Amino acid sequence: MRWWVAVDWIDELIREGTKNVDEVEVYYGEGTSVSADLKKRTVHLATNSVECGFGIRVIHKGRIGSSSSSNPGQWRECLAAAIASAKLATPQPWEGLPVPATLPEVPGSYDSSMKIEPECARDLLSRMLEGAEAHPAEVTSGSAGLSRVEVTLANSNGVRYTDRHTGVSLSLEAIQKQSTGYEFDHAWSLAMVDPVTVGERATFFAKSSSEGVDIETGDYDLLLSPLAYAELLGGVFVPALSGRSVHAKRSRLGEFLGKSVACEQVSMYDAPHMPGPGGCTAWDAEGTPTRRTDFVRDGVLQCFAYDLKTAYRYGKASTASAVRGGSNGLPSIGHHNFVVDGVRDTVDDARVLYVHNLVGAHTANPLSGDFSVELSNAFWMEGGEFTSPVRSAMFSGNVFDLHHGIAGMSRKSRTIGSLVLPSIKINQQHIIGK
Amino acid sequence: MSCISYYDLRHVTGETTHIDIDNSVVESAGSSFVNVAVLRVLSGHGWGVLQIDNYTPCTGRKFEELLEQACRLANITEEKVILGDVPHGILPVPPVKEDPYEVPLEEKSALLAAIEKGARSPGIVNTRANYIERVEHVNFSDSSGNEYTYRMTRSGFNVLAVASRNGDLQMGYEREHSIHGFNLRHQEDIGKNAAETAIALLDAGAPKGGKLRAVLDPELAGVFAHEAVGHASEGDLIHEGSSVLKGRTGEKIGNEILSIVDDPGLCEFGFDPVDAEGVAVTRTEIIRKGVIHAFLHNRESLAAVGNGIAGHARAMPGEPPLVRMSNTFIEAGDATEEEIFAECKNGIFLKGSRGGQVDPGRGIFQFNAEYGYLIENGECTRMVRDVSLSGEILTTLHGIVLCGNRRVMSPGYCGKGGQSVPVSDGAPHVLLNDAVVGGSGLD
Repeated sequence: MRWWVAVDWIDELIREGTKNVDEVEVYYGEGTSVSADLKKRTVHLATNSVECGFGIRVIHKGRIGSSSSSNPGQWRECLAAAIASAKLATPQPWEGLPVPATLPEVPGSYDSSMKIEPECARDLLSRMLEGAEAHPAEVTSGSAGLSRVEVTLANSNGVRYTDRHTGVSLSLEAIQKQSTGYEFDHAWSLAMVDPVTVGERATFFAKSSSEGVDIETGDYDLLLSPLAYAELLGGVFVPALSGRSVHAKRSRLGEFLGKSVACEQVSMYDAPHMPGPGGCTAWDAEGTPTRRTDFVRDGVLQCFAYDLKTAYRYGKASTASAVRGGSNGLPSIGHHNFVVDGVRDTVDDARVLYVHNLVGAHTANPLSGDFSVELSNAFWMEGGEFTSPVRSAMFSGNVFDLHHGIAGMSRKSRTIGSLVLPSIKINQQHIIGK
Repeated sequence: MSCISYYDLRHVTGETTHIDIDNSVVESAGSSFVNVAVLRVLSGHGWGVLQIDNYTPCTGRKFEELLEQACRLANITEEKVILGDVPHGILPVPPVKEDPYEVPLEEKSALLAAIEKGARSPGIVNTRANYIERVEHVNFSDSSGNEYTYRMTRSGFNVLAVASRNGDLQMGYEREHSIHGFNLRHQEDIGKNAAETAIALLDAGAPKGGKLRAVLDPELAGVFAHEAVGHASEGDLIHEGSSVLKGRTGEKIGNEILSIVDDPGLCEFGFDPVDAEGVAVTRTEIIRKGVIHAFLHNRESLAAVGNGIAGHARAMPGEPPLVRMSNTFIEAGDATEEEIFAECKNGIFLKGSRGGQVDPGRGIFQFNAEYGYLIENGECTRMVRDVSLSGEILTTLHGIVLCGNRRVMSPGYCGKGGQSVPVSDGAPHVLLNDAVVGGSGLD
């Protein structure tokens, strides 16, 4: 979809800016969200947030300047700050901001039936609590949130794109004695979340992980849940696919183009047009029309992710991978719906150590990929059933090496943030018992 | 409005300046503007909270409309919130030696470039330096007539050096952040330190995991206090039942030499002149001589739980306050560093921090050192990398058997509930028996 909602001050800003610089870009977002939080089983707090913000980029003779603010009335000051910022930036090759283009048809990520009302958030909490009744564990906290945002991208080449997104997010925490359980769900549509199951899974993990057994230090076959896998993949492997990291020599994947970076059965791609996950978009954060980008095909590294700035600097093409961290965030290299795919199979027939979550995955070495983390909600699993919980253990390894040892992928995938992942089985991984 | 029993408003305006220099290229440098407010209302039951971007201070009918909106939110809450009686007041913000806001951006950029240049040396393939400066004007007022206004400036830099050899990448990382004023001058050697660490790590081995005696340097021991004790002592977690420390006031969980404190009034990076609910800040001894002594509270958790001190509510601009740590530290003891290494005899010395995480309900924590050395016969020998440490809160603290005589604080940021706030952690060198060390080394 492409249409233009008149925002006069943005047009005026662009006109004013181009008197002094070659190009001007404005990204503006406004939205509203509500959330309700549980303390134990009662609603303790309800929040309404009214958000607005914008980011300006100016480009002049290859120098890129930027500024942002939450106050549209302050745009002149903000524009002046962006122009001052450009004067300090090192000039680089620059071939222009995008021009208006025919955009691809993409599935929406806007639920027009979603009401951003506190009562809706309270009802979602009630349904999570209903699900939590399934197992004997105490609910300690929980949250339900609903949001709607409209974003506008405009530049001095005539691009005027607007898009709308909705979001719903749920989470619940539970405890039984000294055993904790946590579950969450998120989607762009209310029909796509299941609050009852979120509640049920939270108390299930709290109840089922209690009275865990110790494990001897040794090498074991592991089954990492999508959540545990996301913790390792998202902090190490995905950032190493950024063209900026590669050209700055901060990526261990930099020398592997055309070479094996994972088992033959593994593929990884960004799918901005994939129906379902919330990252669907026809244009990236700079206005480049989006398309599928295959990073890893059958285990072989195919390409890296680029935004315009990095692409122009290193003689590459943008992969439409620019994203922003919020309405007033500046563009950086990221992804929309990052999918790990490949040959699917049953992965829980033979005896494996199932790991639902990890504690401390963000402390992994982002460059080398080495990590050593604590397991959370780990179980021995056989014939598709949890047999006994494991009390406490550490898992050490390397995120890059781990991808060469993937022995299987589950039939189902789960969306974790912007990652769409299966459970993965990896054999003979090092576990340190207590 | 008669239905309102309490409200408070925290309005933050300010300016953020950043500079990013990557491999000698000024990638970005400039300023952005902040104007956000949070209005909290207690009306009959729980909290109704309005978060407002681009807030214009108002009075009369317009302010009453905001209160009404917040009341409508509070209508869906069920929990009866009671606020504890607390002392109010504000500390003076420490004066700065040189106000970063007054230093021209061009000069900041040139000084940062010199630090980044200092990190360039043979074997280093990437150098990157970032500067961040946040100037915040905070206005707080509540329905009891308390009003506070202050200006805080935090600034500092990070420098990263990446070394590469045969496909192996290692990094050295240094950071300096302060509330005491502009700190970019005369810092060129810090870049060099980052480079030396990165190159040395190329030859470091992976440690063998298992139970070891460990000496923690002040930075890592500070993170240990933060992760293993600080979070679990937060009153909101105690209240909702998700901390193993609940109901354990007076219980001995460590040796007599161990005292752990949180002090938002200490003039370190986590300093707050007044907390985010307008409460006077004060030192709280979480663990005194090995015994659980006091929890960290906001007004609500103080009333609900007791056994602690309020003044620990903190908030990112525009976000509702949460119970948080500020400056958290292990008190110094009387051991010298030499005595600590001699007593360890054989084990591992862990330095620096790559952060950590805790599950306070389960009582399990994990954190990671930047690097370490094996200790053999009381001497540091082979360098090791990617060493982590995990443990159980209720048993691990007994393993701290010696505390050094010199405490050092390190700045950082702490995340909770989607909010990141500035903190500092610190400690002297400590000796930890039976540390569970993670590593993938085989010998």
